[in-house]
Amino acid sequence: MTDVLVIKDLNKRFGGLRAVQDVSFNVRENETLALIGPNGAGKTTAFNLIMGFYRPDTGSVSAFGQEIVGLRPHAVCALGLARTFQVAKPFGSMTVLANVMTGAFLRHRSAEVAREKARDVIDFVGLSAKETSAARDLTTIDQRRLEMARALATEPKLLLLDEVMAGLNASEVDQAVALIGKLSSRGLTIVIVEHLMRAIMAVAKHIVVLDHGQKIAEGNPKEIVANPEVIRAYLGSGYTHVPKGAS
Amino acid sequence: MRRESTLVLVALGAVMIALPLFVTNHFALDILIRILLFSFIGSAWNLMGGYAKQLSLGHVAFFGLGAYTSTIMQIDFGISPWIGMFVGGGTGALASLPIGWLCFRLRGPYFTIATIATAQVLMLIFLKFRDLAWGAEGTTIPNLGHAPLMMQFETKPPYYYIVLGLLAVSLAVTAWIERSRVGYYLVAIGEDEDAAEAVGVDAPRIKRNIYMMSAFLTALAGTFYTQYIYFIDPGTAFNFSISIEAALVSIVGGIGTLWGPVIGTLLLETTSALLQSWLSNSGGVQLTVYSLILMAVILWRPTGIMGFLIESYGRHVRKPERA
Repeated sequence: MTDVLVIKDLNKRFGGLRAVQDVSFNVRENETLALIGPNGAGKTTAFNLIMGFYRPDTGSVSAFGQEIVGLRPHAVCALGLARTFQVAKPFGSMTVLANVMTGAFLRHRSAEVAREKARDVIDFVGLSAKETSAARDLTTIDQRRLEMARALATEPKLLLLDEVMAGLNASEVDQAVALIGKLSSRGLTIVIVEHLMRAIMAVAKHIVVLDHGQKIAEGNPKEIVANPEVIRAYLGSGYTHVPKGAS
Repeated sequence: MRRESTLVLVALGAVMIALPLFVTNHFALDILIRILLFSFIGSAWNLMGGYAKQLSLGHVAFFGLGAYTSTIMQIDFGISPWIGMFVGGGTGALASLPIGWLCFRLRGPYFTIATIATAQVLMLIFLKFRDLAWGAEGTTIPNLGHAPLMMQFETKPPYYYIVLGLLAVSLAVTAWIERSRVGYYLVAIGEDEDAAEAVGVDAPRIKRNIYMMSAFLTALAGTFYTQYIYFIDPGTAFNFSISIEAALVSIVGGIGTLWGPVIGTLLLETTSALLQSWLSNSGGVQLTVYSLILMAVILWRPTGIMGFLIESYGRHVRKPERA
């Protein structure tokens, strides 16, 4: 399998804070990689560096073999990378359909075609019943669905999900996990930032752990939950989750 | 539904074209022309200020540039304002590039302040540099009597038709943009620029293009207005109140809607004209009442008259369909 995203020695400093320090990892085609770590570990910063929202101080990010440091977010998106935001950013006054069409317009100029493509994606994430609702009127889970639909409408090859499960109840988490599984089985490569270990164990085969901006561990779920460094920094000594089917 | 709205549009167009045949009173025609003019300026402003929510209060910069370009061409070189109008539009569009380059790096209120400042700077340039264009005292446009080729007419209806045509063009442009990709992108940028960038919208480029379009149209209005009042000076051509009015009619009518600026102008201009004729002898009372009406609209209907209409349409007409 080839590496679709190669991150090398990434550094970002905000004043005196080293938000991301010498972080390197690769994402292989069609895998689901989870980026975990305590709050403030640099996960969202890493997303912003990859997607062009911040410019790294040093280091390189290459996607599909092309260096993308220095590209603006819209250009990164055009290359086939899409993201969701930790705090959902719907276009509040627009309808669900119009929100998703805005994403679909990236690959399809005509409004008719964009509308059709948007409807497919809305159907896929299960939002069809809310198509004509204003985005600001949606519930939390539906806003998350919308974030995902809008990102998917840009027809990405690599999807970065930033805490899509925060604030969801147990059954909603199950739905979200199922959705991510479905995307993965369609051939999409996914990088997911998440706190919910149950969800991570269910979707990710490859985990990178950040703490204080540094990568402290990388491996499969089994290795990660057994890693003393990870337990100290993040999981806590009481953590005894046995990953189901994660071998 | 589509056929109905086409019919309404055709009927409205016919009424507007026939109107000067019935309204012969000069005062009434003048008010109509003002309504059409500010609807036009408002709808030009609305493209950027309304759809993309880039609240400019400096649109008079382009109005003034358009006015001065065509007037200088006419008086110094004898070139018809019909040509000058489009050269002025081009000047406005070109000027929007450096102004946008400066202002778009700021967001929110800072952007608004920067647009005010650039318009003021332009006014000062035309005030101080007398060699450029007559300085503070301005100039009158030589009256040629009936000279259609120089955009001069002895009666009001031709002016009415010119500005009606301008308004029709800007509404057509807006209607087209509203339905196309650019329209979606503009609203997305207005809602959340980062989220728009994340789905592949080149926000700076889109903003620059719509600013150019908006500036071009606003500059056309400047030429028209100068030809209509036969006079130009920096105080009129770069009058801050034109910037305010452009934003105000759109906000009151409903920003980011096709008909908002027209409805807003209709309401504000008629109110202001009526108040002026009723209360003109009582000092500033008409301005006070005008301001109170404005405050009422903004407090109770922040989405404008169009927002109110769409809401009530949704409540009373479309409810069964949604439930």
